[in-house]
Amino acid sequence: MAEDSAGLPSDYQFWMQKLSVWTQASTLETQRDICLHLPQFQEFLRQMYETLKEMDSNTIIERFPTICQLLAKSCWSPFILAYDESPKILIWCLCCLIKKDPQNSRESKLNSWTRRLLSHIVSTFRFDIKEVDLFNQVLGYAPTDYYPGLLKNMVLSLVSELRENHLNGFNSQRRMSPERVRSLSRICVPLVTLPDFEPLVEALLTYHGHEPQEVLWPEFFDAVNEAFLLKKISLPKSAILCLWLRHLPSLENTMLHLFEKLISSERNSLRRIECFMKDSLLPEAAACHPAIFRVVDEIFRSALLETDGAAEVLACIQVFTRCFVEALEKENKQLKFALKTYFPYASPSLVMVLLQHPKDIPQRLWHQSLKHISEMLKEIVEDHGSYGGPFESWFLFVHFGGWADMAEQLLMSEAEAEPPEALLWLLAFSCSPGAGHQQRVQTMVEVKTVLGRLSKLFRSPALSARDLQAAAGENRGGDPRPPACQQLVRRLLLHFLLWAPGGHAIAREVITLMAQTDAIMKEIIGFLDCTLYRWDHLCVEAHRSRKLARELLTELREQASPQQVNQ
Amino acid sequence: MDSLLEHLERFSEVLAVSRTTHVRTWDPATVRRALQWAGYLRHIHRRFGRHTHIRKALERRLQNQWKQEGESAPALAPGLANFQALGHCDQLLSLRLLANPALGDAAFHCLLQQLFPGPGVPDAEEEELQGSLARFARCRTAAHMLRFHAYKENPVLQKDSLMRTQAELLLRRLQEVGEAEAERPGRLLSRLWERLPQDNFLKVMAAALLLPPASPRLQEEELGVGSPRTPGDGGQELIRWLLGKSDVVLAFCRNLPAEVLTSVAERHPELSPVYLGLLTNWSRQLRYDLPKGLWIGTEPQDVPWEELLSRFQSLCQAPPPLKDEVLTALKSYKAQDGDFEVPGLSIWTDLLLALDSRV
Repeated sequence: MAEDSAGLPSDYQFWMQKLSVWTQASTLETQRDICLHLPQFQEFLRQMYETLKEMDSNTIIERFPTICQLLAKSCWSPFILAYDESPKILIWCLCCLIKKDPQNSRESKLNSWTRRLLSHIVSTFRFDIKEVDLFNQVLGYAPTDYYPGLLKNMVLSLVSELRENHLNGFNSQRRMSPERVRSLSRICVPLVTLPDFEPLVEALLTYHGHEPQEVLWPEFFDAVNEAFLLKKISLPKSAILCLWLRHLPSLENTMLHLFEKLISSERNSLRRIECFMKDSLLPEAAACHPAIFRVVDEIFRSALLETDGAAEVLACIQVFTRCFVEALEKENKQLKFALKTYFPYASPSLVMVLLQHPKDIPQRLWHQSLKHISEMLKEIVEDHGSYGGPFESWFLFVHFGGWADMAEQLLMSEAEAEPPEALLWLLAFSCSPGAGHQQRVQTMVEVKTVLGRLSKLFRSPALSARDLQAAAGENRGGDPRPPACQQLVRRLLLHFLLWAPGGHAIAREVITLMAQTDAIMKEIIGFLDCTLYRWDHLCVEAHRSRKLARELLTELREQASPQQVNQ
Repeated sequence: MDSLLEHLERFSEVLAVSRTTHVRTWDPATVRRALQWAGYLRHIHRRFGRHTHIRKALERRLQNQWKQEGESAPALAPGLANFQALGHCDQLLSLRLLANPALGDAAFHCLLQQLFPGPGVPDAEEEELQGSLARFARCRTAAHMLRFHAYKENPVLQKDSLMRTQAELLLRRLQEVGEAEAERPGRLLSRLWERLPQDNFLKVMAAALLLPPASPRLQEEELGVGSPRTPGDGGQELIRWLLGKSDVVLAFCRNLPAEVLTSVAERHPELSPVYLGLLTNWSRQLRYDLPKGLWIGTEPQDVPWEELLSRFQSLCQAPPPLKDEVLTALKSYKAQDGDFEVPGLSIWTDLLLALDSRV
């Protein structure tokens, strides 16, 4: 905390000024300002506490002569006292001022003052509700007996008033005025993390007034979303949906939060991404409402473009789509929204085929589906159909990553003499969508050659790593392979190792030869993780291949970062 | 069991003392002990909450204490109100000690250490108390903010959140003290009538009488498993006391709005003859002023014509049997007066005429 306390004096001045402004008048403006600053102020209080707890009370007064003012003014504002952990931290700070045995009258006075303020925060309260308190005093109940019940009744009453708005329509007498609703949303900002307020937060989120513009405070939406992301509030899915539909920044923040979480963790497996993804409720929300899907998709598209097609972003998109499709099937037995609303710029028949789950198609028909997809895509891309350029088609295709992987696996595991052109085209397109016709043809030829060599080696019982390397190697005297094509060849090679009977013995040796850079190693790990993940979802048996893949994955992960254990 | 009951008594003493200047003699060890006892009782509450036998024994012991306390004590230092209060007795003790300026500095310092150990506390019990005190502070602030910024009085009395809460608490308390001793509810109500602002208390009473009857299961959760009395007894006690106190019922019928009284009379038919009787008496006080052509009162406290009419009108809009009861009474009074159809001779005639025309 050393660096922080260096900045503390200037922060202290800043907050003292803020508090002076805030305590002067309680206008809408000051309330808004307080709400905007609540999280930072709490952070400041935390830092103060960390500093204060190391000192005794005399030192504190020396270092911070106006500390009493600061603390007293903080306690003045109900917004601050209502927010999250601020009351607790204020109490801790005040505890630092208490002396066990005051030596002189000044220390005694400080003690009494601090005790009074402490008492104010927790027990005897300036913010009492007089009529209720007197009543209960005579009745024989203590505040701890009745305040929770009182709060509950007040919340329930407000919830039913909000709900009544729906039913009463234009009956203006019973309606809650827009100002009152807005005021209510303002009060909720510091209190969204109080469990007693959950029904009220939900009622506000799902409240639909009759005014054309948004009645709720934007800070309210931000506060709810923050609390939701940090798991400090639990709301039903319908409420979250309303939140995201009414306040776009919340949806964007949720996506950012997801990206941050995924980027910051070292070991990312698809299973883990799936966990986070489902947790975030984004796929379900997207399935319920096309507008949400489109926004999420747009963010993914930007991310993909900005990172130049980074594998991590692709993985996210694929996991998201898988969860989305799952949610779609669960939610809409008969599709509530036509597919076109989710994918407005794509060919409907292409979307239909892509959406199919390979599990639902018998294995012998996988070829056909792939051929169909390939033909449709080819038509759009090469004949400049009306469904956007190659990037759009490619972007659509990579949502459903499983198809490309399936094509690779089929080509390799079946090891045919004449691999189908359609599949070759599909793979060439998938690895470089922007390539021109010539380049694509060249890629197809390259891949066909490699496949030819590999298929010859497929059944041979004794293989050497050198053989494989030679088979996958580039043609002498030709142009070097573009990196995307090289990557494809590497993947085909890995498929070979998993499926060919002789592949298991030499797998480790081959991988060592292949993994000449960290990036390639990462790629190989990603491939193995993705393959296992896909096999789990497809319920592919293949015991030997699975076992090998799993072993390789564990070993390579250990090599890459030795301390961390595979989850 | 005996040790448990004794523990309860000792703790109740501690709780009573915690508010007085007697805590001056407490040292840090005493504070620690007192908090430990509170923690123990809270643990008991959690463990034996569903155990009828133990629960009833504890409740009975608490009720005995109130007997001994007598009339004045509850206002000074309410102890544990009921079995449920055991669930947060440590909070209660902590709040009292925190607010007591007589507690010595060393003892207070120890109290703070126990209550607010700071972040990252390993002991689950301590963390719970710290968290619950902080949550209680937030809860109170929240109630204040809602009251100050978002509250609007609900025209329907028993639906207004403040009224409803007070009404619910009143009924609950009546039931609790009623279990201890039969006359206690009446004495409690008399005490409330003396001590509280009367119009608020009248409204609370009305709201209490208008609350929807609680379902037995809800009562179970709120009040306690296996209460000997049936649910809704609180309301019975209230109406019984009300009808037995002529000054209270007079204020009740005079000051509360017509619709409220009609609803109460509907729910509690015992009230309607009394109410009707009062209305009759008030009506008989008016004299007809020939020049003005109005019924006016002679004394300043007489109920004016408009008000009487609106009350009768409200009653006549109620469903039978109340409506019929009222109309029958009016008609019989009219007959007693001579059955005139001409206005100005009998107030009953004029009332009936006015009611007819307004219908």
